[in-house]
Amino acid sequence: MFFDYLMNGLGLGAIFAFIALGYTMVYGIIKLINFAHGEFFMVGAYVGYFCLRDLDIERVGLPQPLPILLDFFVALWAASLVAGLLAVLTERVAYRPVRKAGRIAALLTAVGVSLLLQNIAVQVWGANPRSFPDPRVFHALDDLEGEAQANYYADREFTTTQGETVTEAVLLISQGDVLDATKRASIEDQGFDEVYERVTLSPKSVQYFVILALIGWTPILWFLVKRTRMGKAMRAASEDADAARLMGININLVVALTFFVGAFVAGVGGVAYIATYGKVEPMLGFLPGLKAFVAAVIGGIGSIPGAIIGGLILGVAEAIIPFVLQEVFGWEEAFAWKDAIAFAFLIVVLVVKPTGLLGKPMREKV
Amino acid sequence: MTLASFLPLAIELGPQGFWWMNVLFLVAIYSLLGLSLNLINGYARMFSLGHHGFWAMGAYGAAWFTIQFHGHMPGVPLFLMSCVFAMGVAAVGGLLIGLPCLRLRGDYLAIATLGFGEIVRIAIQNSPREALGGSLGLEVPRVIMDVTRKTKADFRVLMVAIGFVLVALTAWAIRNYIRSARGRAMLAVAQDETAAGLLGINPVRSKVLAFVAASAVAGLAGAVYAHYQGIITPLEFNFMEMVKIFLIVVLGGLGSISGCVFAAFLLIFVEQWLAKLPADAGFFKDWWQVEYAAILVLLMIFRPRGIFGPREITDVWRDLKAKWAKKRSAA
Repeated sequence: MFFDYLMNGLGLGAIFAFIALGYTMVYGIIKLINFAHGEFFMVGAYVGYFCLRDLDIERVGLPQPLPILLDFFVALWAASLVAGLLAVLTERVAYRPVRKAGRIAALLTAVGVSLLLQNIAVQVWGANPRSFPDPRVFHALDDLEGEAQANYYADREFTTTQGETVTEAVLLISQGDVLDATKRASIEDQGFDEVYERVTLSPKSVQYFVILALIGWTPILWFLVKRTRMGKAMRAASEDADAARLMGININLVVALTFFVGAFVAGVGGVAYIATYGKVEPMLGFLPGLKAFVAAVIGGIGSIPGAIIGGLILGVAEAIIPFVLQEVFGWEEAFAWKDAIAFAFLIVVLVVKPTGLLGKPMREKV
Repeated sequence: MTLASFLPLAIELGPQGFWWMNVLFLVAIYSLLGLSLNLINGYARMFSLGHHGFWAMGAYGAAWFTIQFHGHMPGVPLFLMSCVFAMGVAAVGGLLIGLPCLRLRGDYLAIATLGFGEIVRIAIQNSPREALGGSLGLEVPRVIMDVTRKTKADFRVLMVAIGFVLVALTAWAIRNYIRSARGRAMLAVAQDETAAGLLGINPVRSKVLAFVAASAVAGLAGAVYAHYQGIITPLEFNFMEMVKIFLIVVLGGLGSISGCVFAAFLLIFVEQWLAKLPADAGFFKDWWQVEYAAILVLLMIFRPRGIFGPREITDVWRDLKAKWAKKRSAA
């Protein structure tokens, strides 16, 4: 029981960490709380959703589960790339013009961009949540014999009274049905020669996957920041942007690249999030985005290991604290308060240790 | 003796008139919120994103107080006392969050206050049904006068009048505060905290004072709003409202009193006008939320200091007149 909650917390924490990385990198360089970062995450989640739903990579003729893995691989890359490009575009169009206009103007621009992306998403994709498309495994009807091992479906298009064309999954064979000649013939009469079964991902497997992905990404980011020329330029720019410019570093390029990398990683988090929670909606980015910022602050803003540790701490705290309050102190409604607990945690951290766990103390110049 | 007996007006309002009264009332409320946020963000240059929390605290404080003492007290004193109580609740909230957090810089303060605003909303949403109504909201008894079909128009006119009296009082108070010794100290802290500290000003006290005063005004706005609406729900006080208040402050110009009221009118009028349009009114209505956000971004890019900047409408008018006079004398 406790272990389940711990795993939930770690899985959620890994998602927070993926988002927090972008916050912390951007803040490190241009000292901007990029409110729109949660929306890059949301757009990544939508792109991943569409890839998983529409690309039909599950059909690739390899033994299972390779096609499903391929499916996720493509969805992750597409989500990350689109989120990254969107971030670069946003930086170019909205943030760069206000970079000199002061911190309040920049932060308010970020809030505006965040609302803008949210509402565009509402207009384009609709405000209703969509459920996560389970990966499908296709079987030719001829391959199936005897008792059905699972529920088998096929997609049918039909026209509603309003004249819209809707695709709907029809249950053709229930689990345990015996597939005899008459049944086969009746299905073929409906015009189907293949059916598919739905593979439900267990939340636990997704959690393992997210945690593994985080473990995989950490050295890549570490290498990028500590061992490449571009990373050196990033670190120089966050140390002192003006001096870095005088040294011939192209600050605009560095900032754009930072936005790209940050949003790229957030795209991974987006796909992981919808796979864990099973739905995607336009307001998806707001709360996780805010909490990821909390995570970045806990870990010490500007520090990459800090973002990862902060994310994991926040995720675990959010899962464990209500659990403890409920089980040990008998407070029934503790889970309804988990968001309030996260924000209270933020305020306490800000007040007690504003630099976070791994942040550098800010010196003040007079 | 209630105030209703002073109001034998039986004002006739057509549907148009009702709509206008509603708009004007909301303008007054958002002006109050804008003016108080302006004190924090415009004059004291602190960055607060938790104003909707204080607004909600005021609204719920007044509603709770009214429900507790409804029937034990005549209406008008109850109304006044609930407003005072709401201001007190919001001010205590401002003090509780202000004392620890006002040491934080710029965006850290913003994020801490934003967290606070969300905590307030979540707390109200999860409150027991019999205390604060939970997510279903709270009904506020009508105390200032009976609201029937006949007196509905009177009620709206009265609330609009109360709203604008409060706006005028707040604007007057803020203007005088800014020109007082404490106000100038606050401006000095806003300019340079360290230098002001060296001059013997206590920066923390100056900031906390501004923060608490602004919270109290937001609480007052909440109280009047709760009495006007008759029913309040926690979801009304969401982050979008915060953005709206902020947009009013920035649109009018950080540190401009008349600009703030002007911007509140502009924004609320357009919003309510769009709400009145039929659902199939087309692109402009459907995409209003998008346009709203786009205006905010464009404004920040092209006029980061607002339409008027820190000047008042009278200053703008004077400058324009001087310009025209110059042109005329040149011609």
